Amino acid sequence: MTTLDISKPLHPTIGEDNYLTHTRGILSWLFTLDHKRIGVNYLVCVLTSFFFGGMFALLVRTELLTPGKTIVEQDAYNQFFTLHGAIMVFLVIIPSIPAALGNFVLPIMLGAKDVAFPRLNLMSWWLWVTGAVFFVGSLFTGGLDTGWTFYTPYSIDKGSAMGGAVSALMGVFILGFSSIFTGLNFIVTIHRLRPPGMTWFRMPLFLWAIYSTAILQVLATPVIGITVALLMFERTFGIGIFDPKLGGDPVLYQHFFWFYSHPAVYIMILPGMGIISELIAVHSHKHIFGYRFIAFSSVAIAIFSFLVWGHHMFTSGQSPLMNAMFSAITFSVAIPSAVKVFNWVATMYKGSISLNTPMLYAMAFLFIFSIGGLTGLHLGTLAVDIHLHDTYFVVAHFHYVMMGSALIAMIGGLHHWWPKMTGKMYNENLGRLACALVFIGFNVTFFTQFFLGTKGGTRRSWDYLPEFQVYHIISTIGSYILAIGFFLTAGYLIHSLFRGKKAPANPWGGRSLEWQCASPPPHDNFATTPTVGDCYDFSTVEWDEKQGTFVVHGEGQPSPAHSHH
Amino acid sequence: MSTSRLIAIALIVLTILGGIALVIAGDTMWFPRKASTVAPQMDLVFNIITWISIFFFVLIMVVMFWFAGEYHTGRQAKATSDVTHNTPLELTWTIIPLILVIAIFYVGLEGYLNLRVAPVGAYDVRVTAQKWSWLFEHSNGASEANVLRVPLNRPVRLLMQSKDVLHACFIPAFRVKQDIVPGRISTIWFEAKEAGEFDLFCAEYCGKDHSMMRAKVIVKPEAEFIADLKEAAELHKKLSDSELAQYAMSKLYVRCQSCHSLDGKRGTGPSWRETNANWNKERVFKDGNKEVVNENYIRESILNPGLHIVETFTNAMPTFKGQLDDRQIAALTLAIKNLQHFDNAGKLKAGEAIDWQIPGGFPGLYGGDGSVPANGGAASSPATIPPSNTP
Repeated sequence: MTTLDISKPLHPTIGEDNYLTHTRGILSWLFTLDHKRIGVNYLVCVLTSFFFGGMFALLVRTELLTPGKTIVEQDAYNQFFTLHGAIMVFLVIIPSIPAALGNFVLPIMLGAKDVAFPRLNLMSWWLWVTGAVFFVGSLFTGGLDTGWTFYTPYSIDKGSAMGGAVSALMGVFILGFSSIFTGLNFIVTIHRLRPPGMTWFRMPLFLWAIYSTAILQVLATPVIGITVALLMFERTFGIGIFDPKLGGDPVLYQHFFWFYSHPAVYIMILPGMGIISELIAVHSHKHIFGYRFIAFSSVAIAIFSFLVWGHHMFTSGQSPLMNAMFSAITFSVAIPSAVKVFNWVATMYKGSISLNTPMLYAMAFLFIFSIGGLTGLHLGTLAVDIHLHDTYFVVAHFHYVMMGSALIAMIGGLHHWWPKMTGKMYNENLGRLACALVFIGFNVTFFTQFFLGTKGGTRRSWDYLPEFQVYHIISTIGSYILAIGFFLTAGYLIHSLFRGKKAPANPWGGRSLEWQCASPPPHDNFATTPTVGDCYDFSTVEWDEKQGTFVVHGEGQPSPAHSHH
Repeated sequence: MSTSRLIAIALIVLTILGGIALVIAGDTMWFPRKASTVAPQMDLVFNIITWISIFFFVLIMVVMFWFAGEYHTGRQAKATSDVTHNTPLELTWTIIPLILVIAIFYVGLEGYLNLRVAPVGAYDVRVTAQKWSWLFEHSNGASEANVLRVPLNRPVRLLMQSKDVLHACFIPAFRVKQDIVPGRISTIWFEAKEAGEFDLFCAEYCGKDHSMMRAKVIVKPEAEFIADLKEAAELHKKLSDSELAQYAMSKLYVRCQSCHSLDGKRGTGPSWRETNANWNKERVFKDGNKEVVNENYIRESILNPGLHIVETFTNAMPTFKGQLDDRQIAALTLAIKNLQHFDNAGKLKAGEAIDWQIPGGFPGLYGGDGSVPANGGAASSPATIPPSNTP
């Protein structure tokens, strides 16, 4: 079979046999080789971590309601912000889209039965779990108060940093391997398992984004592995790499750390951008505007991201020449990011836009990411960054990018693919309401912090000047609104699992392959390898009221996509 | 008109108004006082970037909301355009931002180079940062904790060293910041254009009391600055024991107060009130060792804080070796030993005589009538019997 009839899902009888019911028992999930189940395992783990990271965020915000002590003393506060940052970065955002959603969607988008190396995939997940255990272990081995950045010599000084640092570093080391294996798996999968007809430039843009991300994961992550290993040795045996007392250099550590952690920012945001490309095209029912520009900009961002790490260190004492070079290259990242935003907005032009929850999240992303990206200009500008570095301006900026963009995209993607993953529809009105709460709460929390930062409010500060209190109060109120939005989301999504309407194969009118198999997909995804055309050609996709799903117009005929080749 | 269009129009209006508000509110919304020579230029660069950002943000959002309202349709409807790309348009919105960011980079670089290169003849102040206090040493030997005195309208360069971990010197009103890396001397310069008091923060996370590692920058015209420095240098050179104790309370205690209270409340370390109450008594420490609380115990605790840890506390105090000279240690010792004469604000109690410090001291040796001088507290009657510290 070479043609694919979109109107007839290959496994139309929902509930008969799908990946959820294929085998039973807890062990069939823990040791599954099915990419969909591994994706769901990741999703459960990531969302659980997100809950704890979020709780620490609320504790931080609550403590900051008043100068000095509100609910806890300095040591506890320092642990709260460290754990919030470390959990959100290493356990939530980095694995969220690639490992959770990517694992589920990527092989189906390719019309494949699974990723290239299913066993390696399972091992990635187990490594994640092991790494997470070591992370939690830091709480029981003395606590962790270094900040998620583990800056030396604080982190290697046993008299300064708490004892949990070694356990947490071990966790980062192990999580790194999980990330590398996932990236490797996706690279090989995309190279080897594309279906007939899917040339590189016919891939859904989500795959371009995941592919660019995977390259970063494979090339950058080993550096953080080596760095945290050196840090562990230094702290345990006093080998003198970073400690100035032993002839080491603390700034060297910062170079090593940001050589990974800057690309890591793009490991977080690139998959989010990929999701947004899908959401906007599908929910506008219109061809993505400027496919090649968007695809190339993903690759460009991936390449540039390796060359800009020094912009985290403008005040560190590195030479003015280095600062100038890093500043210049940093600005070059702005261009592909701007191009993407323009292209996404242009995609909506004369579309047929459905303002579903995923689309609202996509628009929230455009709003928030624009602010996050534009404030990056302030921070990339040398003269201005000197004043803004290590203030709340930076905190606000990276929350706009990492949380407001990467995580919002992830939540949008979760709503987009939820019917596919679970076979259930959630309550659309509650979805829109929660999206509004998240959007408002987020902006109240973090836009306020731009002002706090320019006024001179320093980050990671338990105590602050009385004149900063008004900003902290507004920000904390925002964080509570945000939390209500997320709890509401958790509520209706869990409710949908038990009481949700059955999801059709194609509830949104998507054209890529994951919408052409049943919801939820059968164990093998597709009975035979499908052939594909242009996955952004929506001219033949129409809503069928009777079946309650989108179908391809002109049933029985080859899909027009095939006329192209 | 459909609801989605109404909402779209409302959002468009809100976005535009928000953008205008940010432009108008401008400086006052964003910045602390512009108290240095570089501040106006740096704020201008910030504002230019902000205006460009607001322009593009409002543009993008207005178009997005407009499209969302205009092209919001039911599921049956189809897109009314099948355009897939427009290369000239896409090149336009690639190239225009490119030109803009090159311009922004250039102004940013220029401002930064001004910030890095100190003028010839700048006045140098040596700065020592350590967990969790600042020490500023001047050319005439004056050294003050958590107070940085600088002259108005003169370039000042800070030569900064760290005793322990990374710190960063940040003076928002001057728009300057520099990390202080242990093992090297980091510099920063500024020229104050406004007299007054300004905040100095540690901007690089350095552990427990990072947020309390603050200092005051006091900017005064040159004549007053010189007078202050002279006084600061004299202070701990030629003083009576009583004056030394008052000097310790007013000048040195600021470096101790984040951990050691005066009111008996236990903080990161024991309250000085507690230590004073235990003077000449034997204390048992965590490791089981015993020591009498006396002058040597105080000296050891300042120079080698880990030696004796009182029960329930941890070894959190950094050493002050090389930071405090013997005279200053003697001053601190006198202050702690005679703390019963000081109130919880560190002021000599009203009515306390000045010559309490030596039991059986020589009347007439200390000058005056033995009462507290004007700056130390209220005047009191002479001939107060010096209290004894022995229990």
